[in-house]
Amino acid sequence: MKNRVVGERVARIGIRDKVTGHARYAADLEIKNALVLKVFRSPVAHGRVKKVMTEKAAALEGVAGVFTAADIPGENLYGIINRDQTVLASEKVRFVGDPVALVAAETEEIAEAALKAIEAEITPLPALFDPADAMAPDAPAIHEKGNILFTRKVARGDIEKGFADSDLIIEETYETRMLEHAYLEPEAGVAYRDETGCVVLLVTTQNPHADHAQLVPILNVAPDRLRVIQTETGGGFGGKLDISVQPFLALAAYLLKRPVRMVYSREESFMASAKRHPLKIRMKTGASREGKLLAMESEITADTGAYGSYGIAVATRSAVHATGPYNVPNVSVISRAVYTNNNWCGAMRGFGVPQIAIAHESQMDKLAQRLGLDPITFRLKNAFENGSVTPTGQRLEASVGIRETLKKIRPYYQTFRKEIEANPSRRYDGVRHGVGVASMWYGIGNTGHPNPSSAQMEVDRDGVVTLYTGAADIGQGSDTVLVQIAAETLGLPYERIRLVRADTTLTTDAGATSASRQTYISGRAVQEAALEIKRILTEKAAGLLKVPANMVACEDGVFFPQFREFQKIPFEEVARAGLKKGEKIRGEGVFNPETTSLDPETGQGTPYSTYAYASQVSLVAVDEVTGQVTVKRTVSAHDVGKAVNPANVEGQIFSGVAMGIGMGLFEQFYPNKTKSFDTYLIPTAMDMPEITPIIIEVPEPTGPFGAKGVGEPALIPTAPAILNAVHDATGRWVHQIPADLETIRELISEQEGG
Amino acid sequence: MKNGVLGEETLTISMMVNGESVVRDVPVNRTLLSVLREDLGLIGAREGCGVGECGACTVIMNGKTVNACMVLAPKADGATITTIEGLSDGEHLHPLQEAFIEEGAVQCGFCTPGMILSAKALLDENPSPTRLEIREGISGNLCRCTGYQQIVDAIELVVNRTEEAKA
Ligand code: FES
Ligand code: FES
Repeated sequence: MKNRVVGERVARIGIRDKVTGHARYAADLEIKNALVLKVFRSPVAHGRVKKVMTEKAAALEGVAGVFTAADIPGENLYGIINRDQTVLASEKVRFVGDPVALVAAETEEIAEAALKAIEAEITPLPALFDPADAMAPDAPAIHEKGNILFTRKVARGDIEKGFADSDLIIEETYETRMLEHAYLEPEAGVAYRDETGCVVLLVTTQNPHADHAQLVPILNVAPDRLRVIQTETGGGFGGKLDISVQPFLALAAYLLKRPVRMVYSREESFMASAKRHPLKIRMKTGASREGKLLAMESEITADTGAYGSYGIAVATRSAVHATGPYNVPNVSVISRAVYTNNNWCGAMRGFGVPQIAIAHESQMDKLAQRLGLDPITFRLKNAFENGSVTPTGQRLEASVGIRETLKKIRPYYQTFRKEIEANPSRRYDGVRHGVGVASMWYGIGNTGHPNPSSAQMEVDRDGVVTLYTGAADIGQGSDTVLVQIAAETLGLPYERIRLVRADTTLTTDAGATSASRQTYISGRAVQEAALEIKRILTEKAAGLLKVPANMVACEDGVFFPQFREFQKIPFEEVARAGLKKGEKIRGEGVFNPETTSLDPETGQGTPYSTYAYASQVSLVAVDEVTGQVTVKRTVSAHDVGKAVNPANVEGQIFSGVAMGIGMGLFEQFYPNKTKSFDTYLIPTAMDMPEITPIIIEVPEPTGPFGAKGVGEPALIPTAPAILNAVHDATGRWVHQIPADLETIRELISEQEGG
Repeated sequence: MKNGVLGEETLTISMMVNGESVVRDVPVNRTLLSVLREDLGLIGAREGCGVGECGACTVIMNGKTVNACMVLAPKADGATITTIEGLSDGEHLHPLQEAFIEEGAVQCGFCTPGMILSAKALLDENPSPTRLEIREGISGNLCRCTGYQQIVDAIELVVNRTEEAKA
């Protein structure tokens, strides 16, 4: 039977409110008599907090409260993976911007004045801004347990033999920069205590249940005394996984028993939020004369800044993905996340994989060039297929679409090539054109950890169907996709399903909106819940129709026996049959993809139960005079398992390409310097090429209708494809991003000089 | 000028906002954005940066787009202003709004009102822009979610429909 809802370009849930301007983000919530919150932040990068003097601020008229670490009722400690961050600094500050005191005042102006009246005595300590310095044996410890947060090793085969057998070895060091998510909506939220005294937070977030879990010990309240509700969220990209305004809102509402609101300015958002880890990657790759990869060795250092956040995940993900989607029998990787006094780094679309892809894809092109193979042929010679074994020893059993993606982009690659070759001026008239290819793989979900999702569905006597999910839609479209999956499973029109989402009181934990996991994991949980409902209703319908249950079908909200389609009963009638007033039919779904933890010494294990694959080709023009790289065309082929909503999948691809262009060509966050979009440039419509998205569907047997994920994969191949195209255009390899004007001008003048 | 309750200088301004006349006493240092959002409840103009760099607060003032966060309220005295709320009567959507829905040109939606207003101002001035001109026309509006392509498609759809209707 053909799918009716899954696979369709249905309009997103909530889109009408977004185009009319009626959608309410956290900063738009009206809340009477709310106090305004502001944070006093550390002006020094590393220091010991001696004294925080708040008396003057507290005495100002209109100031309702000024809080320091001493006022926190519970534990002054949080962190999504390892707990190392304080809500308000008690002993130490570790970066410029570390929160020290919290002000609650009647107005914005008074809150500002109060901040100015706070004095903090902080004794500066030597600050470290380079992971190499932080790893030095005599380096001052930023955290008590030392400056190396985490080390991940992946070892497989015999690395020495692998290199000894190689005919060609390439070794290079690559560097990426600290990046800012730059979601358009700055962090914001409101909080109040309801009639029962429960603290209610309405906040922009990617994971209300994790927010809740982190806030409960800070407030030291029973879990049911705190409720976190996700508001409409203006983008996240990983930056709204960590708590930001949440502890301040919760604390002030709890202690003052008054409604409070907090909205970060753009400057504060830049200063206080997590960043993308800059990585330094040394990579050595060996291949045979015939073009088979034989060995890959890599040492990765990630600067996690002042706090751990998702640093452990980034160290692990970059190590696990370091070969790229290729068979490499001998692998040795060591990957470290290191503390410094820079801005803290956390999750950002791809968790280290966009960075490592720059290394493995540059290596691939270097090898291909030396071997005299075109980049697609070389990749195809090595790409994974069913039965391949990954560097962690996992046998890939299904849904391995990498070869398909390469084959699909090949004609575009050839066309772009021919265009350049047929037109010599495209090489030499001051603007040189080039074409580049890159591929990627990406494990869906958390790495080597259980990451279940759950969902519930209910049908009442009127046939109203409600889906409950804890999954936060941050703009990527999970609401729509989850409802599509539920509707398809039940045989109902899409519009008939009501959605209740991302509220810790009304919904159960669906895990984070991260790691491209919601379609796959929460989608499957929703499918399971819907199947349960379907089973119950089908049996009821079978009774009413007087046919065996396996003969009953439901389409467009009507049950019928498959051999007598004229005998129809509407969905709501079936639902009502036998239900007493107030009774509901319930279905529950849980899905936890199969993973195992990774061996600490060798990294062997099953980090993910499925992977997405992609390949991309980009045509670029490099202006030799200005150094400007312009991306002219991009074709991006993604194996998503199944596109539940092709328009959403394409939207993710366009989005990822844009972020990848920013990452590859101009984005760079300078700690303590970058304060606005004036210096942190993100792509505008003028920076974007026309993009051709290609959707490939190699079904994943454990995914809902075969679906995997695409949110992060969309970004990953972009920067490496551009860098490879720059090489094609100029004959020069770029080893660090961004490939901005100066970098390119320098590269070209080096070439002319030597 | 006179002084408001908190002692700051205020000024009475009158504007036509979405076809309705509005008279308000506003502190002289308030921005048009805060008057729209806080006093008039027109929250469709979003604050993404507050310093004129993102376009999320775009409104049309006397036929031209402005970043409302950069306009001091007194400057808007006597002005005619269209915000996103003025584009549809709640029942019928503006063709641009329809097209944004059809093309899936919206993800988080934070940039959307500003984007639609920039598109409107562009089409008011140039009803048949090329794709490149469309890109130029919205280049002051940042979007971190969509990569702009479906937005350009949506605006082009309106252009094509208008041309078909004329033919
Ligand atoms: S909020 Fe006005 S331009 Fe960004
Ligand atoms: S849709 Fe999110 S910023 Fe444009």
